[in-house]
Amino acid sequence: MRFNLDMPAWKWPFYIMRHPFEGFEDLRWKKAYNMKVALVIVALLFIVSVCSELMTGFLFNTAAVKIFNIVPIIIRTIVIFFTWVIGNWALCTLFDGEGTMKNICVNTAYALVPYIIGQVINIILSNCLLRTESAFITFVSYVTILWTVVLLISGMKTVHQYSIPKTLLFMLITILAMVVILILLVLLVSLFQQVYVFIYSIYTELLYRFSNLEPTALIFIFIGVIAAVIAIVVAAYTAFEKHQIAKERKKLKS
Amino acid sequence: MPSIKRIAARVTAAAMAAVTLMTSVAYADEPYDGYNYDWWGDPVPSQNGYVVDKVITGADIGVGSLSEPSDMFFSDLGDLYLADSAYKPTSGSENAKGRIIATDENFQLKFTVESLDFSGVQDWLDMKNSELNTGAISQADFNKITNLSFNGPTGVYVDVDEGESTIYVADNSNDRVVAFTVDEIGTDEYKTSVGKVKVVYTRPDASMYDPSVTFNPSKVLVDAAKNVYVCIKSITKGAAVFSKEGDFNGYFGANRVEATGEVLMNAFWKLIFSREQAKRMRRSVPVEISNFDIDSNNFIYTVTESKSADTDILKKLNSAGTNIYTNLGYSDYTFGDALTKYYRGQTYSSQITDIDVSADGTINLLDLKTGRVFQYDDECQLLFIFGGIGQQKGTFNIVNAVESRGNNVYVLDGRKCSITVFKQTEFGSIVHNAIALFNKGKYEEARQPWEEALRRDSNYWLAYIGLGNAYLNEGDYDTAMKYFYYNSKSGYNDAFKSWRMNFIRDNFTVFAIIILVLLVGIYVLSTWRNKVRARKRAEQEKLFKERNKGKEDV
Repeated sequence: MRFNLDMPAWKWPFYIMRHPFEGFEDLRWKKAYNMKVALVIVALLFIVSVCSELMTGFLFNTAAVKIFNIVPIIIRTIVIFFTWVIGNWALCTLFDGEGTMKNICVNTAYALVPYIIGQVINIILSNCLLRTESAFITFVSYVTILWTVVLLISGMKTVHQYSIPKTLLFMLITILAMVVILILLVLLVSLFQQVYVFIYSIYTELLYRFSNLEPTALIFIFIGVIAAVIAIVVAAYTAFEKHQIAKERKKLKS
Repeated sequence: MPSIKRIAARVTAAAMAAVTLMTSVAYADEPYDGYNYDWWGDPVPSQNGYVVDKVITGADIGVGSLSEPSDMFFSDLGDLYLADSAYKPTSGSENAKGRIIATDENFQLKFTVESLDFSGVQDWLDMKNSELNTGAISQADFNKITNLSFNGPTGVYVDVDEGESTIYVADNSNDRVVAFTVDEIGTDEYKTSVGKVKVVYTRPDASMYDPSVTFNPSKVLVDAAKNVYVCIKSITKGAAVFSKEGDFNGYFGANRVEATGEVLMNAFWKLIFSREQAKRMRRSVPVEISNFDIDSNNFIYTVTESKSADTDILKKLNSAGTNIYTNLGYSDYTFGDALTKYYRGQTYSSQITDIDVSADGTINLLDLKTGRVFQYDDECQLLFIFGGIGQQKGTFNIVNAVESRGNNVYVLDGRKCSITVFKQTEFGSIVHNAIALFNKGKYEEARQPWEEALRRDSNYWLAYIGLGNAYLNEGDYDTAMKYFYYNSKSGYNDAFKSWRMNFIRDNFTVFAIIILVLLVGIYVLSTWRNKVRARKRAEQEKLFKERNKGKEDV
């Protein structure tokens, strides 16, 4: 055996990066899936995305940051990553995929390492190169993205023990699943927002009704009302339970 | 005796009143706020480059009130010509409407022209008469083109040749452009004179010009070779060009078809359809040009007044009809307000209705929708925005024409029937001075006015580029980069190129040493690692052999 596979967890991503096909097989064989390393890689992805928005040289910065907003970057990296993992898991468990959520998460994260490295190289290059030399940056980004895609296919294939055509098919369907998940998320968020608006409008209504009261007092009243409602519900429920228990006892006795 | 409290109250009141007065004095008296666009294309407040000097009405000139004046023009001699389109002459026929007013630079009346004299073009009249007799043209058309007075003149241009002014008028409803001179000035109150017609430019033959399309000239201009360019609203092929003698020569400067979704779809269907089917499809035609101007180097600038189109809003055409304002490097031009605004049920997007090119190459565009004048330098960099819609001095109802002379900009309002004169502010003159020096290549001399401009308005984008160029020219690449940062990519690129070269040259020994050390380090490290690995393997093999000593099958 040429390579000693008893290496520390942080070395695995680099080993896999150098061995796109047998790397994931080795990982599977050694059962060396490490969630901590995967999360660190996702965090790095996020940090590098922020850096590339802020630190890419002026000549190559297409983001044109006037007002920096971190939310799109969070969505672009972390949210997309976890929707991918969840979507892929949800689909592939139904279709004979052997991967657990943890394994999918780890494999996806390990596959992202070349992309992160490429981004770092591009940030450095963009501060050293002229506009006429942009070919280097395009080259680096193309190569690293291609590498990541190859790793991702290999990783998904290994984790589910699929054939390559099946892997590709399910990766495409996973993207659809991600779209569905994101739409549902947006729906949920807007629903909660409406609940918030409803509660807020009750608050303002109360404010107008009892305009002689202090707003802070109103908040306490409001909290009190909510607490009372909860208390009534709880009391009713316990009463109902007691009633049930009494019924059953009667049954047992008879 | 008033109490201390009361005294204090009075003093405070007085102080407050003084402060109010002072602030009201210091407050800008323009009805519009100057603004400009930054690198991101967002509007930012800016100093006014132009403020209202005065407003001139017909009464100030001494010709009664104007009615729907639609064009004005400054001749090379400095005379102002006005096309007073809807004016009703007192003793005119039914088809008489409009007059031409000429004043000098200070709006002192020179003459007005209400009627024409065709005695100078008897040959042309005879020819048209014979055409009428053979039925080549109808009686109505004949009456129109030989009308002795104007019928809604909408365009005026004056060509000065050896001190003689020839006035070209686009006589809209008379289907003609007349060129005439004024030899004798009348003696009445309005100095009413008669124009002696030199040439009449009329509808070309049916073979060259579709008979079903109207021929209503709206604007006119003349180039150095005395070719006459006529802007017609119903023609999308560009301006109609006539020779000096009145022969039709063709079209000039058509716009391109904008690549909208519909146009692309049509192009796709044309690939599939048969020829007959394709013929029946709706043809996509470009938007017609709405106005033009000519500069001292005989470049013709055209503008397009369209709510929807974005292509070819402003074109600078050489004599071959090629647009110079395209494909100039990385920049793509936008004219007028960059943003389309939706406000109170109305969409506001710029509709450029007139253009003026001043002697130094400054371009003034007039926006019909917002009533603003957008001033650009000759490289299409936005300098100032002024004017607006409103009822105050310096704002307009319906703007029709813009002209510039010296440091002043003149805007003609067709509804208010007045000419508003804008004069340059100090800030405006500083910027213009800097631009002039900058365009001559005197970057270092331009530094001082640019710095002054920045001191007055730190939002002023062009000043940063000007200063960057000045420092770049001086060889101070570090400072140049600072000024170009988020102001000009091409400037930053040039400055950074030189900076990088200098940096590498100055620190060459450091780089060389670093590279050398790295190479040696990698070599030493790899040999050492190989040795360690070999030793480890040897140890393992030894262990393995020892462990399996007694066994034969290994």
